[in-house]
Amino acid sequence: MFFNVYTISIIFTVLFLFTVIELVRKNKLQEKYSLLWIFMSIILLILSSTPAIINTLAGWLDIKNPPSLLFLFGLVYLIIYNLHLTVVISKQSENITRLAQEVALLKEKNSRNDSD
Amino acid sequence: MKVLVIIPAYNEEASIGAVIKSIKHHAPEAQIIVINDGSRDNTHIEAAKAGATVINLPFNLGIGGAMQTGYLYAKANDFDAAIQVDGDGQHDPAYIHKLLKPIESGSASVVIGSRYVYETSYKSSFSRRTGMIFFSILVKILTGQTIKDTTSGFRAVNRDVIEYFAEHYPTDYPEVDVLVKLHKKKFRVIEVPVEMQQRQGGKSSITPLRSIYYMIKVSLSLLVGALRSNEC
Repeated sequence: MFFNVYTISIIFTVLFLFTVIELVRKNKLQEKYSLLWIFMSIILLILSSTPAIINTLAGWLDIKNPPSLLFLFGLVYLIIYNLHLTVVISKQSENITRLAQEVALLKEKNSRNDSD
Repeated sequence: MKVLVIIPAYNEEASIGAVIKSIKHHAPEAQIIVINDGSRDNTHIEAAKAGATVINLPFNLGIGGAMQTGYLYAKANDFDAAIQVDGDGQHDPAYIHKLLKPIESGSASVVIGSRYVYETSYKSSFSRRTGMIFFSILVKILTGQTIKDTTSGFRAVNRDVIEYFAEHYPTDYPEVDVLVKLHKKKFRVIEVPVEMQQRQGGKSSITPLRSIYYMIKVSLSLLVGALRSNEC
């Protein structure tokens, strides 16, 4: 059967990879955030184009239905990437807080200088 | 001793003026700074009218971010001591000198104005009291120190703590969290008894359901924070 989980996975991954590269090209996604996505796409591409790898791994892990290992990889990756994103957000909100504080203090200083 | 009074304020137009006037009356030598945390009412106008310096944050940062702005100001302008007072009128400025005394004599780095050191006429709700006892026990476990009024925002600190707070101040649920941090940094924290008043205006953010949610959040934050490395 041509239209199986592996071919769907390949088609999807290629489209996804293309989208990521396009976003970077249009400056809508920073390179550093694209790297993890590209890395994941390549891994998925290799796994879905070479079912032998998945089959062997599934055999080791005693997984009856090899393609479900593909989903497991995807899921684990998404969880890790989400964690990465919340780390990024934490850093950013810290920076935004400091920025707001500095702006407020500078505005006050400024108005004091104006009135002198 | 150069003293800064920091008042974090979010929508406190009804009470802020009276609070500032009372501070001016009881501690005329202190400079008063109001951190307007993105209020949507006329807090900044009322505060300026009463004669305080007003710092307007561009948007709401929450109590932690607002408090820290005050400490950044204190650090930049070389204050020797800073004292936080709530903008809702529940902290009586008559106690400012009582809080500052241990700072001035160098016997403590942080002085907390406490409702519970011994019986005062302050009446608190059941959920609030439960929370107090709970946090008190938690702080006791984490620091070994007995602090009765862990959530009191009526606090005075010395220059060293000003510098520390300017760099490190928790964003969320700061009152209890800060106690554990101060302990880690080996600052000496003491409590002095004060009477607290019922708030004069606005409304409290505390409801029974919210206080349970608050308790869980603070506890988790404290326990995770206890694992944190010492640089923070």
